[in-house]
Amino acid sequence: MKKDTEADVRTDTAIRVAAIFFVAIIFLAFTTDPIKTGTKEGDRAPALTGMAYNGSGWTSFDMDDYLTPNWTAGDPTGQWLLVEFMDTDCGFCLRDASKVGQNSNYFMKLGGDWQGPVVNFVASATELNIQGHDSSRAEIQAFRDKSGEETCGGNSCANRDGNAHNFVYVDDLDADNMDAWKVPGTPAYFLIQPDGIVAWASAENQNEEVADAIIRLTLEA
Amino acid sequence: MVDQNIILIGYAVPLLFGLALMTRLGESFSPTLTSRSPLYAFPRRRHMLGLNIVAFVGFVVSVHTLWISNKISEGGNVCSSATVFSCDDVLGNAQYNVDPIFGISWGLIGMFAFAAVLFITNAVGKEPDAIWAEPYLKYGTFMTGAGLLVIALLVSYEVRMGKICQFCTMAHIANVVCLFGFWKAGKMHENGSWKDEDEDSEAPRNTKSKGRKS
Repeated sequence: MKKDTEADVRTDTAIRVAAIFFVAIIFLAFTTDPIKTGTKEGDRAPALTGMAYNGSGWTSFDMDDYLTPNWTAGDPTGQWLLVEFMDTDCGFCLRDASKVGQNSNYFMKLGGDWQGPVVNFVASATELNIQGHDSSRAEIQAFRDKSGEETCGGNSCANRDGNAHNFVYVDDLDADNMDAWKVPGTPAYFLIQPDGIVAWASAENQNEEVADAIIRLTLEA
Repeated sequence: MVDQNIILIGYAVPLLFGLALMTRLGESFSPTLTSRSPLYAFPRRRHMLGLNIVAFVGFVVSVHTLWISNKISEGGNVCSSATVFSCDDVLGNAQYNVDPIFGISWGLIGMFAFAAVLFITNAVGKEPDAIWAEPYLKYGTFMTGAGLLVIALLVSYEVRMGKICQFCTMAHIANVVCLFGFWKAGKMHENGSWKDEDEDSEAPRNTKSKGRKS
């Protein structure tokens, strides 16, 4: 009597391959603890790179250079990072410019008596695809330095609120970083732990000010 | 930390051995292999052994790339380098290290793909005369052929980043070698060499298994 034994071979093989697959999955589960890359709180922040203006010229910028990968919670020597996504023609960004400047000086310990860890500030300047938003590197420089002949949001950049900023501005005019960080609009703020994990995102905390979040999170970490 | 080049050699050696078994070079391994199993005297048996080895290497490399991706996400450095060969830069790039539709890690996709290839090679290797063996080999050809499109996409990412991930490249090579293996198995079917017969005899060997194509 004939028997269909072909299925046995395939079933046997399928079980064997499935076993190998699950052994691999178990190995991965026991030896790694992956953290999702993203911009929600608890995610690992995506890369932020580009050419940045520091007040004297444009140099290569990589957010990783600001991070301390082996930082542990409670270590006060680790430097935090506040990333601002902005557009030099965005009204809300112009409105926030003064406050951001004050916060950066205070938390970067350039003035005031901040007792917590250093929080570096970095702005990623993009050009939103909105009529009237026409930015350039010259405009980014003018916005940061509060100088020049460029126009920010219809008025002279030199006349925006607040003082000149002391932190770097990354050229994101092609919106690559903004897309990678999935930022829907400006301004958007992200507080990054020294190990690169997103500790706070303005989109998830509409009722909390940036300064309050920094104080709350850096002092309790 | 083990030198990454040593690990790469550890993958390259069995991959090359598998490839050799699928070519004329395989005949030189015949005496050694035949001492383990007489069936390896026949080209198609050596061919399927080689294909199994390459598929398994592809699977293990895929597991390794997923492991590296996970380690990088934890904040670790596994194979970062300032040179063009830096898998950390490729596997750690959140924009490119997952597929653009479902957001699944390429390493996991590789694991599924090579597990499927391994199923085909293993099943056909055990029952090469089964009715389903030839169609299965065709499915393998289509699968690994489609893999070329994925490889093209991943290489385009590497070109954009200006970095090369050595382990990903090893998985790509395994896919190409598997494609060659499936294609050659198809050719063996076409030219009538897909059989267990002594060269100087017409008597078929390995009549042990049932349910085979007559």
